[in-house]
Formats: sequence, C-alpha cells, structure tokens
Amino acid sequence: MLHPPTLTHWLALSALLFSIGLYGIFTRRNAVGILLSIELMLNSAVLNLVIFNRFVASGDVDGQVMALFVIAVAAAEAVVALAIFVSFYRHRHTLDVTEANQICHPGNSTP
Amino acid sequence: MHDGAISTVFFYLFAASSIALALGVVLGRRLLRSAICLIGVLGSSAGLTLVLGFEFVAGIQVLVFIGGIVVMLLFAIMMTSQGHTFEQQPTLRRRVAGATVAAAFFTVTLSAYLNADFPVPTAEQLAVSHEGADEIGRKLLSNQGDGYIVPFEVISLLLLSALIGGIVIARKHAPEDEESDQDQGLANHPSDVGR
Repeated sequence: MLHPPTLTHWLALSALLFSIGLYGIFTRRNAVGILLSIELMLNSAVLNLVIFNRFVASGDVDGQVMALFVIAVAAAEAVVALAIFVSFYRHRHTLDVTEANQICHPGNSTP
Repeated sequence: MHDGAISTVFFYLFAASSIALALGVVLGRRLLRSAICLIGVLGSSAGLTLVLGFEFVAGIQVLVFIGGIVVMLLFAIMMTSQGHTFEQQPTLRRRVAGATVAAAFFTVTLSAYLNADFPVPTAEQLAVSHEGADEIGRKLLSNQGDGYIVPFEVISLLLLSALIGGIVIARKHAPEDEESDQDQGLANHPSDVGR
C-alpha cells in the first residue's frame, strides 16, 4: 500500500522542513522565535547528513560524525544567542528584532 | 531497523508528524507553544534517524537538542516575556516574502535532487549495520588521515568559549555601573515594583 521511501523521499522531507524554517525566519519578529526557526533548519541539516550517510556512503560513519559536530555547534550558537537576547531584553524591555538597530544604548558608554 | 514494511510505516508516521509540528512552530502566535512543537519536531527527527538505523546519533539528538537547547529556549522565553507571550500577526508583505522564498528554495532543491543521479545503494550496502558507537568513537579520536581528532578538539574549545562568552554577555553589570544603579533605584521605588 505505502511506497517504501527512497532517497528522494527522505531528501524532500528534509528540504521541506528547511523551507518551513526559512518561512519562520521571514515572518517572526521575536528574536527567540527566529532562533526556534533556526533550530528547525539546523535539525533538517543534521537529517540530511544522516540520510546521505545511510544511502550514499553506507560503509562510512563520516555523516554521523558530522551530525554530531553540527549538534555541538548548534548548542554553542544557542548559548551565545540567548545570552545576547537576555542582555538586549534588559536594556530595551523588548525582543522585537526590528527594534534592534543599535549596538550601543544611547547615552550609555558600555555596550 | 530497516526491514521493509515497519520502517516504511514509521517513516511516513514520523514525516507527517514532523511536518505538522514544524508548521506549528512557525505559524503559532504563542512562543511557548512553538517551543513545545519544536520538541515534537526534534523528537520525530530522532525517530527518523532511528528508522535509518543510527541509534547513537538519535540518542545524542534527544539528549542535546531536546534536553539542552530546547530547555534553554524555554528558559529564555520565560525570562523575556512579562506575561505577554503573544506575538502579533505578521504583515501580509512579510508573509508573502517568506512564502515566496521558502517555496522557491523548496522548488530549486527538489528539482536538483530529482535531476541528480545519486548512486543507487545495493541491498548489501543497505544491510550494513551502524548500530554501534565504537566506530564513531574510533573515527572521532583517530589521528590518521581520515580521523577527526583536530575538529573534535576545536569543538571542545568552541564550547568552552561559548560558555564563557554566554556568562560574560548575560551577567549583570557591576554595581559601580551608573545605569545599573539607576535601574536598581527604579526597582526599589514603590510604584515600580511590578515592573
């Protein structure tokens, strides 16, 4: 009844998840919402690496190792982004990215 | 887990749930609910990785992505929302732009996938089992030509520097900082307690 998934099915799924994340980046205004969409896109990239490991280079583990690296970098990125958001919120009391057009608060020498 | 019918059923199950929950992440107006949907997407992706037969990566994905990153995102949402977790509806222009870019990306990528001729895996290649972490560990720590020892060490440095950088950026300013003194003065004022 169900067609067994081929490589194209898997890749189409991951491309669809990536485009949904892309749409989220364009429509969100809250910075944490944008970060959620970025996590979605990183997740689809991890999925892509694992899919190619399975179907194209099934003898190696390089795709899995790369997936682990992407996950580690995603964790580091989330830490720094959230620290910036908390600091930004403390100054401006908002997380609207359209308000984030200055590095330095006016009248304040420390960034 | 790649024995025919069962893995096919699980593929379509996880694919449908991950797409639906991903739409919930980007379309919902409540950020907290979006984060919960993201947990579902990442869980479905871990399930898909499991369908492919990579148990170690699926486990790491659950531990780090769901257990670490999403929980941190939940903390950030709760710290930065004072009761109003709603986000206003995006303007029509933003929605049209986002939909156009996303549809264009999907079309181009899918046509590239359909026109590329990837090597078709034979049945014996697909039967290779990866259900063990020992080969990944050996690959990560080998200093041969195809080993990953240098990126592994660089990643550990990157995580340490991200940790320190996160603390430095997000910490409160020192008490002698003029603005933070003003903030504390405002907060102590009775009329501003609820701020």
